[in-house]
Amino acid sequence: MSPELQEILVWIVKVHVIFLGMVGTAAITTLAERKVSAWMQYRHGPNRVGPQGLLQPLADGVKFLFKESLVPEGANKWMFRLAPALAAAPAMLTVAVIPFGPDVTLFGITTPFSIVDLDIGVMYILAIGGLSVYGVIVGGWASNSKYSLLGGLRASAQMVSYELSMILALLSIVAISGSLDLREVVLQQKTIGDWNILYQPLAFLLFLIAAFAETNRHPFDFAECEPELVSGFHTEYSAMRFALFALGEYCAMVVMSSLAVAFWFGGFSVPFLPDAHWALGIAAFCAKVTFFLFLFLWVRWTLPRFRFDQLMNLGWKVMLPLALANLFVTGAVIAYAPQLKALWQNLFHGAS
Amino acid sequence: MAEILFYVLSALALLTGFGVVLAKSPMMSILSLLGSFFCLAVIYLLAGFQFLAAAQILVYAGAILVLFLFVIMLLNLGDMGVVAERSNSFLDSTAARLGAALAVGLGVIGLVAASKAAFQPAQAEPGKALDGLEAIALQLFGRYSLAFEAASILLLATMVAVIALAKRQRKSGQNPTQNGGRA
Repeated sequence: MSPELQEILVWIVKVHVIFLGMVGTAAITTLAERKVSAWMQYRHGPNRVGPQGLLQPLADGVKFLFKESLVPEGANKWMFRLAPALAAAPAMLTVAVIPFGPDVTLFGITTPFSIVDLDIGVMYILAIGGLSVYGVIVGGWASNSKYSLLGGLRASAQMVSYELSMILALLSIVAISGSLDLREVVLQQKTIGDWNILYQPLAFLLFLIAAFAETNRHPFDFAECEPELVSGFHTEYSAMRFALFALGEYCAMVVMSSLAVAFWFGGFSVPFLPDAHWALGIAAFCAKVTFFLFLFLWVRWTLPRFRFDQLMNLGWKVMLPLALANLFVTGAVIAYAPQLKALWQNLFHGAS
Repeated sequence: MAEILFYVLSALALLTGFGVVLAKSPMMSILSLLGSFFCLAVIYLLAGFQFLAAAQILVYAGAILVLFLFVIMLLNLGDMGVVAERSNSFLDSTAARLGAALAVGLGVIGLVAASKAAFQPAQAEPGKALDGLEAIALQLFGRYSLAFEAASILLLATMVAVIALAKRQRKSGQNPTQNGGRA
């Protein structure tokens, strides 16, 4: 087999494994959402399809495919059909640069376990991820319904506001890592003492809050907000088009969790085992992502929703100044006192 | 291959550029502009400017256009109100429309020509950016730091001015959203 052919084959396999893995995770998360909510409310949750209801996502998928997909009479037909794809595509595209594992050796071939390692991976994620708002806006506008429009408007204001804090929080990590390549950021956090959460806890908190807002999850789900807006931007959607909106939301949750893990929690590094096998590395990444996915569900079924003015105040008057100050202090520390970092590392590593 | 892609993208950028000025609904204009930005970003990528391409999408498509969309939806709720409102205004005369289309077309041709001049696919190794972050940072904060800071001060001044204007109007009892947002 020629090297080029082998490279293409490896690439095709990687794309399929990672992409299907993410969509599968998103599907399982829909089930987990219902199971976790049931568990928190002392109910059973879905338990009819398959053992313990495990095949429920499959049943839902089949149902969505065979239901009638309605297009409202007054809707802008073309844009109405375009919106679900616009909502689902960005999250699925950003998964390309996430390093899910270290170099994998299988059948004598060694390859890094990510679809592509871009020099500007962080920029790519922010640029493509920032487009996810179009699906919500276009969907809300094209539906020609007041509830959908209000949902779309809220989503656009909210996502633009919180994107700023999120970018600034990620930039603090980029500043201390000195790289926009996600694999490079992960490789710098080999041991638990190197995890960025120890150096940038405030940036992590800001990122986490912004991630909830960017994915339109509780307590910031104003785009849907069922008590006042029916279901917000996807009120008029049904069948597979509705499912695509949901799929986009859950894929975005997987991407945001992966980002939190890669930037703050050492990515695929295994705690206390710096030279672990690659399979263990991938397992560690998945375990960490699972925790954050659970956190998304946990928060949803625990906290009440904000009011919209509270959301805007938090975003512009609290988070943005904090993120700016954090970035400023980070930059000042890097520029004027590199010995401070050495001191900090000495505290955690002792003599090593 | 890269050359064919370049011409296809240039044609698409031109077409979507015309779409921006010729579309009837403001929503379609915005989406055309989005398509145009994307074509430009891919042309940057073809020329090996990864950072520039990502910045183009991040800043223009991800932030500025979303604000445009927000304003359009907020002011006329997405219907054809704006077109009806300006039906007897200057912008609706055929000559003005043709002129605007011509200007945008010329602008896009200029951009395409400029990127064509910088278009050397042989230099761009796959996966490697010509515009390293370090190189850009050194230029931006070294040689051009004065211009960079001046631009940021200009933006800040604009923001303050807009807030001051909006505040003054509210004091005199006029709600800027009630007169079609033209104030």
